[in-house]
Amino acid sequence: MSYPSLFRSEELSKIQLFIPRECAHDTIYELGETGNVHLLDLNGEVNAFQRSFVGEIRRLDEMERRCRLFHTQITESSPPIGLTPLSAIPPFTSVGPRAAQAFDELDDKLTEHETRLNQINSSFEVLGRRQRELEEARCVLRETAGFFDQNNNNGRGRGGVEIRSSFDDNGDGSAPLLENAAEYGTLPGESGFNGVDLEFVAGTIERSRMPIFERVLWRVLRGNLYMNYSEIEEPFVDPTNGKETYKDVFIIFAHGSELLAKIRKVAESMGGTLYPIDSDPDKRNDAMREVTSRLEDINSVLFQTGQTRRVELGKIAEQLYSWKDAVAKEKTIYQTMNLLSYDAKKKTLVAEGWCPTRDITGIQQALRRATETAGTAVPPILSELQTHQTPPTFHRTTPFTEGFQTIIDSYGIATYQEVNPGIFAVITFPFLFAVMFGDIGHGFLATLAGVVMVMYERKLAKAGLGEIFETFFFGRYIILLMGLFSMYTGLMYNDIFSKSLHIWTSGWEWPEGKNGTVEAVATGGTYLFGLDPAWHGADNSLVFSNSYKMKMSIILGVIHMTFAICLQVPNHLKFKKPLNIYAEFIPQILFMQSIFGYLVVCIVYKWSIDWSQSATAPPGLLNMLIYMFLSPGTVDPSTQLYAGQSFVQVCLLLLALVCVPWMLCLKPYMLWREHQKIKGQGYQGIGSGSNGDDGEPRLSTTQEMQDEEDGNGHAVAEAEEDEHPFEMGDVIIHQVIHTIEFCLGCISNTASYLRLWALSLAHAQLSEVLYNMTLERAFGSTGIFGVVFTVIMFGMWFILTLAILCVMEGLSAFLHALRLHWVEANGKHYMAGGYAFTPLSFAAIEAEVEE
Amino acid sequence: MSGFLVFIMAIVALGAGLLGWNLTPKGMNQTMIRSSILLTLTCCYLMWAITYMAQLHPLMAPRRSDIRSGREAM
Repeated sequence: MSYPSLFRSEELSKIQLFIPRECAHDTIYELGETGNVHLLDLNGEVNAFQRSFVGEIRRLDEMERRCRLFHTQITESSPPIGLTPLSAIPPFTSVGPRAAQAFDELDDKLTEHETRLNQINSSFEVLGRRQRELEEARCVLRETAGFFDQNNNNGRGRGGVEIRSSFDDNGDGSAPLLENAAEYGTLPGESGFNGVDLEFVAGTIERSRMPIFERVLWRVLRGNLYMNYSEIEEPFVDPTNGKETYKDVFIIFAHGSELLAKIRKVAESMGGTLYPIDSDPDKRNDAMREVTSRLEDINSVLFQTGQTRRVELGKIAEQLYSWKDAVAKEKTIYQTMNLLSYDAKKKTLVAEGWCPTRDITGIQQALRRATETAGTAVPPILSELQTHQTPPTFHRTTPFTEGFQTIIDSYGIATYQEVNPGIFAVITFPFLFAVMFGDIGHGFLATLAGVVMVMYERKLAKAGLGEIFETFFFGRYIILLMGLFSMYTGLMYNDIFSKSLHIWTSGWEWPEGKNGTVEAVATGGTYLFGLDPAWHGADNSLVFSNSYKMKMSIILGVIHMTFAICLQVPNHLKFKKPLNIYAEFIPQILFMQSIFGYLVVCIVYKWSIDWSQSATAPPGLLNMLIYMFLSPGTVDPSTQLYAGQSFVQVCLLLLALVCVPWMLCLKPYMLWREHQKIKGQGYQGIGSGSNGDDGEPRLSTTQEMQDEEDGNGHAVAEAEEDEHPFEMGDVIIHQVIHTIEFCLGCISNTASYLRLWALSLAHAQLSEVLYNMTLERAFGSTGIFGVVFTVIMFGMWFILTLAILCVMEGLSAFLHALRLHWVEANGKHYMAGGYAFTPLSFAAIEAEVEE
Repeated sequence: MSGFLVFIMAIVALGAGLLGWNLTPKGMNQTMIRSSILLTLTCCYLMWAITYMAQLHPLMAPRRSDIRSGREAM
């Protein structure tokens, strides 16, 4: 058997496995390790809750949840706890006769860890709350002590008055009396401050609520209070969500138990906490001492609990990845087993699926291994099925081709075994990109980025990258090739950071000793490789490069599309549809070549003629093409490109015109005739709409529906196949759409390739403008200022070159290259009617566990 | 004239393609490497040939107005 290649998708076989229940688990495990069987769901009509292994999956879900819980707690702890990588942990026995027991033990272990962790966490929380309360109490004690001391110190003077004045704000007439009394010193005396039995409430409240609190109290008590507060400088941190809250200590003096009760109620309703404070300084000191000592106790207990929690988490961290891995794999295994049909009486599971034909021996070995590990006598049986269903599409990619294949797959998954444009995109994609991005300098930067990513592939793949960078990393080989081709096309355009190189002898010479506008003189030679440097900086350089780049885009576009049309041929040969070759491929290619192929030939011919020796002036090719349609058969002798031009053009035009009905009619007619022949043989009936009882599809699967065009071809030989009935109307409509799409598409697609010219022009102009605006300005200045200015301008130029010219322009050129491949090329031959091969594989799970 | 260079290079590219085709080692990636070599040679040759032919018989000469007293080095 030959080697697999990207040209066509892998040949797949449908296989059926009979797996005894005892070794089912281990068999699926082995299949997952090999990773090349795409298992089909045989219980499509059964909903997810009615399947055989729902209980196991629910249990594994629970285990998975516990692992996730541990993981978040471990990653959130600070200082961080290191998780042991999967490769360093001894493997978990998830196969063999002891596997079930191992999982039971793991389940117990996880539950045990969870309860213990929950206990620790809850006691940690309770202790934390207690600690915060004590800290607040201490603050309140400290701050209130401040109030009392203050009041005691100036109680002889104004302090007392102040207190009283706040009681008397209502102005009940006693204020002047008392004030006078204070002035004359007839107050009951400083000792009376405590003796008067002024009651108070002390506590803490959030700082942001303080003003409202104050106002509410004022209203509620009608001003009958004296309030004092102070801010606590350090914030209180809530350990559960890490939020910081600032609090204030308040102390409110009021008279009468009713008022005090009101204050308490208001304080509590506003989220304040009240603390019992004694007005006696000695008692306050005692309380302070007690609070401090209790705080110390609690702190040490908290520390101990924190240590225990860390030890517990550390123990979990040692094994966590292996648990997660085992649980995730086990869950996948049971989910897969749910796809199989299970015969409880015979104790066998039946699996159906697709696998690459060349891997069947490998799968058989895996099955043997599974029997050995499970220790059972009866091995699973593998048999190949004959089927008419269309297998999924499987391309064996390497890290190099993966990115390019993804570009094609995002357009559509190839039909089974059709020509895969991905293999050609490996070169054509970077090349078309480079035509738009041509600059040696920018190409070199892109190459450098590509080389770095390829060289540090392993390291970068392991390190967690950002989502955006990961996309670039995934396309590292695309970037590398794009860079290399850009350097080549840059050499062609003779552009290096918008300057030019002078390597070979120029074809032009500037005349000496002349001022003003000068025209270069041709030396008779041609610049060997790329654009002549004499054009760089010339006044009319744009005129020349536009004509050159425009013609180049047309030539490259026509060749690219011709290539794409030709890729139909291997498909038609492979699928044995010769009709498509002479009813579709040949008229298409003739149509294309008689118009645009002719244009390309004319472009090349015009280049090859030395017009300075010719009698006529060089004709405009665009006008030539337009008049080829407008006035066929007549060519103005003054704009004639070659002798006999009018005859050739009429022939080509007629050829193109003939191709249209050829494309339109031949195929439907041939199909109709074939259908009539089959009907004439008397095999009509299967699925052909007239008799209703046979009309319904025989298999429930719909993915293997064939295209309309081959609807009747297999009806004689293969009655198994489900198919569309032959509908002449459908065939005709399909063909009309196809023809119109192709003919109009030819014109618009050729024009679409002009984007190659537009983008490369924009790129060159942008880089020139950037250079002129930054670096060139700096070169004129001298002195120390000049040096600094040059350095700054260089930095600016370099950063803008990277950001705008390399990244932004690069992305835009990438998108345009993508479009040229998807629409202009793939549209010509790529059917893309397949579905992807998605094998059961553990490789992705392992990568996901250590995210 | 020197237009023959286009044909000479075509033969060189063809030869390189044949060489690459035969030198590709057998293995998983043989088809991929072969198609890549051929496509690379085609693309690069096309690009060069187009650029070369476009300058073979120039229809106009570069013109500049910023030249002072004789040939200015660029």
